[in-house]
Amino acid sequence: MKKRSRLLALLLSASMVAGLAGCGNDSGNAGDGGGDGNSGNTERAQEVVINGITYHPAADLTSDNIELTYFHFDQDETVKYLADRFMELYPNIKVNAVYENVATYNTTLNTLVSNGNAPDCIMYSDADFALSNMLLADVFEYWNADPETQNLADTVNSAGLGTFQTSGRFGVPVKFFPGVMYVDRNVLETLNVDVPGMDWTWSEMIQLIKDCTVLDSPDGMAYYGLGVLNRLDSYYGIAASQDIIGEFGYNGKTFDLSVWAVGEQDFADLKLGGYVAPAVETQENEDWSGDWEKWFGSTGHVAMFSEAFWTYQGTWATEAFNDLNLDVIPFVVPAVSEQDAGSDHHSIATIDFGGVTTGSKYPREAYELLKFMSFGIDGWKTRLEAYNDESIVNASGLALKYDVMPAPITKDAEVWDSYIAMYTKGMDEEHVAHWKNYFASCMQPIPFGWTSIAGYWNYCDEYFNKIGIHDKVDSGASKAADFATEATEKANLYHAQAMIDYFGPGGYNVLSDEELAAYEQQVADNS
Amino acid sequence: MAMSKESKKEKKAKVKIKPGRLARREAITGLIFVTPWIIGAAIFLIYTLGSSFWYGLNNIRITPMGKNFNFVGLGNYTQILLVDTDFTPQLSQYLFSTIISVPVIVVFALIIAILLNGKIRCKGFFRLIFFLPVIVVSGPVMGMLADQGAATISTIDTQAIGNAVSGFLPRSLAESITELFGNMITILWYSGVQILIFLSALQKIDSSMYEAAQMDGGSGWECFWKITLPTIKPMILLNVVYTVVFISGNEQNAIITLIQDSMFSGTKEKGYGYASAMAWLYSLVVVLIVVLFAVLLMARKDIYERQVKRARRERKKEARTVKRIERRGIRNARKIEKARTKRKYKTYDGSGDY
Repeated sequence: MKKRSRLLALLLSASMVAGLAGCGNDSGNAGDGGGDGNSGNTERAQEVVINGITYHPAADLTSDNIELTYFHFDQDETVKYLADRFMELYPNIKVNAVYENVATYNTTLNTLVSNGNAPDCIMYSDADFALSNMLLADVFEYWNADPETQNLADTVNSAGLGTFQTSGRFGVPVKFFPGVMYVDRNVLETLNVDVPGMDWTWSEMIQLIKDCTVLDSPDGMAYYGLGVLNRLDSYYGIAASQDIIGEFGYNGKTFDLSVWAVGEQDFADLKLGGYVAPAVETQENEDWSGDWEKWFGSTGHVAMFSEAFWTYQGTWATEAFNDLNLDVIPFVVPAVSEQDAGSDHHSIATIDFGGVTTGSKYPREAYELLKFMSFGIDGWKTRLEAYNDESIVNASGLALKYDVMPAPITKDAEVWDSYIAMYTKGMDEEHVAHWKNYFASCMQPIPFGWTSIAGYWNYCDEYFNKIGIHDKVDSGASKAADFATEATEKANLYHAQAMIDYFGPGGYNVLSDEELAAYEQQVADNS
Repeated sequence: MAMSKESKKEKKAKVKIKPGRLARREAITGLIFVTPWIIGAAIFLIYTLGSSFWYGLNNIRITPMGKNFNFVGLGNYTQILLVDTDFTPQLSQYLFSTIISVPVIVVFALIIAILLNGKIRCKGFFRLIFFLPVIVVSGPVMGMLADQGAATISTIDTQAIGNAVSGFLPRSLAESITELFGNMITILWYSGVQILIFLSALQKIDSSMYEAAQMDGGSGWECFWKITLPTIKPMILLNVVYTVVFISGNEQNAIITLIQDSMFSGTKEKGYGYASAMAWLYSLVVVLIVVLFAVLLMARKDIYERQVKRARRERKKEARTVKRIERRGIRNARKIEKARTKRKYKTYDGSGDY
């Protein structure tokens, strides 16, 4: 009996394993299907007016009842507002907007994909993750047929942002936060230092930082030239030349970290020279401000900030900062050469990208949804409606415009006029003019490398950050230039290998034989 | 002849009795009861283990169009052990820190359990206090507390300890010791379940044993070593195993983070396959640690148990000797009987002629 029951138990287990193994063979052919309207053109239907906003819905979308999933790490209430409006415009399309925190975003997305539940549209910030798993579909056909894509910030097309320097288009810009250097005019006035112009140069900025550092201030609290969120070396690597279209001196094919090294050294010298305000939760900060947790941006003793774009609306523009005697205004990140500085020039920006997934059964419809959520004019009109209505709040009770609000990446004048009007609400004319001037100068954005360059994230993760270059240079133990040659070779190697892996025959297979050979040569040269 | 009949009877007694209907029904009922476990184990253990092992032999990319498997054999394992600069150092640090921190946690849990088992006021409240971290300190909360510096005792100068031990110990061992002091609060918070297990074991010890020991003049210290510790010894092993498993699967564990990062990495060599291979290597080390502790704790049996075992062995030996003598006697008796029937032996007739 004992033997028989053992046998029975074994058989049961074996049958379960066999059955499940059969289930595990996921065909994953979700992408085989397609919507009715996969023609590639983006015809517009008749205008539709909702809440006084005139929309131009696409005419070539399917009339079947379908459901699209938009997986994102954007501001959740805003996305839901946009999704509702999209569903009003296309009643046959149900939009399932799913928010996931950035920290667990890739994990959850990967789980969804492995379970055969790939969303139709996704946002991504780590391009290597998205490309290596072939999450992003090539939307070149839709992009090219869409006239709105030609009216975006210049670099989107000129620097091929989202194309990864291939003939395809895998990503579209979803959230755009222009690069900015904030200056507290009151500090400059107190220290009797001239306010710079929008055409300032890199060296002028460095000089200004030094001029505004007064450690033995008469009021007893030192003034610092710079408060840091983002490192200046990232800014310099792009501000150095108009040929550069990515971090670390990336020109579309190769890197040149000797450019970055100059900015890295400048920044380290500023830190070592005592021109940078102490970071929060440090003993230096407590000694300086009297409060362990006090943020330098609230002291009124820091002249310039390498803060994020959203810090203004999310922090300085809020009521809590009204009585702190700050007059923070934005400046475009300066170019290195005077010639570049005198005109619109490339500057670093935070751009989160998105794409239609290769698993979407309705890529045409998914593209339209993605566009509505990101750069599309209709979507931005809806966003502005939500931002203007301060009764619409997030989970913390904060109006949406204060919660990491992006800027439009479209150059559409109507959208920009409404945006500036909303953004500068309550400001005097002089400030409004300054903001307008700034917004007009920041439309040559170059995103951080991990969103736009294949292999960049892996390079940083496995080489650059691992050997601790920043720490070594910041502490004065090494010079940035010492690392430039090897770091350049490694960057070129990682990039070329990633291009072959992602876009070669084993991946999307969109590289020509010549391109493939060039990348293979690049791998050989830098191995 | 009489002997041979007896041996036949013995043989008959050894024949297995066919189970009756009731026994069969009981067996089936038992099987039905364990079926959920079998199904659960098949789905969540055997299948996943098998899949994970298979994954470890492949380079895998999970795309919306399906899973792309590329068989690499032991390539992932060689890559991890020979090329990966993170895994091996992390693993050795984990090994040392686990070997150091597990005894600390278990001993602390035992001390607290003994205190909580004593005659004190608000016993329930104190038990709650020590068990509370188990409920409150889930992964993310623990992470936040650690970020705020709540995982360490601020008065302990961990840097000084680190400097002191790194002078005469290998780097990875010194780091493990420093880490132990750096995360002292966390480590102590990990002891909630172990305290409960020890408490339940302590409460099952017969109080008459202590009374008898005290009447014989046994001190509290002697009672602990001679009664408490030997009685709860199986629970020590249980707690050690639990602690090793808990530490190994904890979100604070750097290797878990490393495996997760590899899983979602965009690097060509990494991904699910690479992470699975890492997980198998890691599991192997965890099992080795468990075995190490098991060997250490199981080998030290107390004198009484040893004496009982020895006596049992001797009894068995005696029984075997008796049986051997019996068998020899039977054989001899048969030989004599045979010889007698063939008239080879004559019985002594008192004639003086032998």
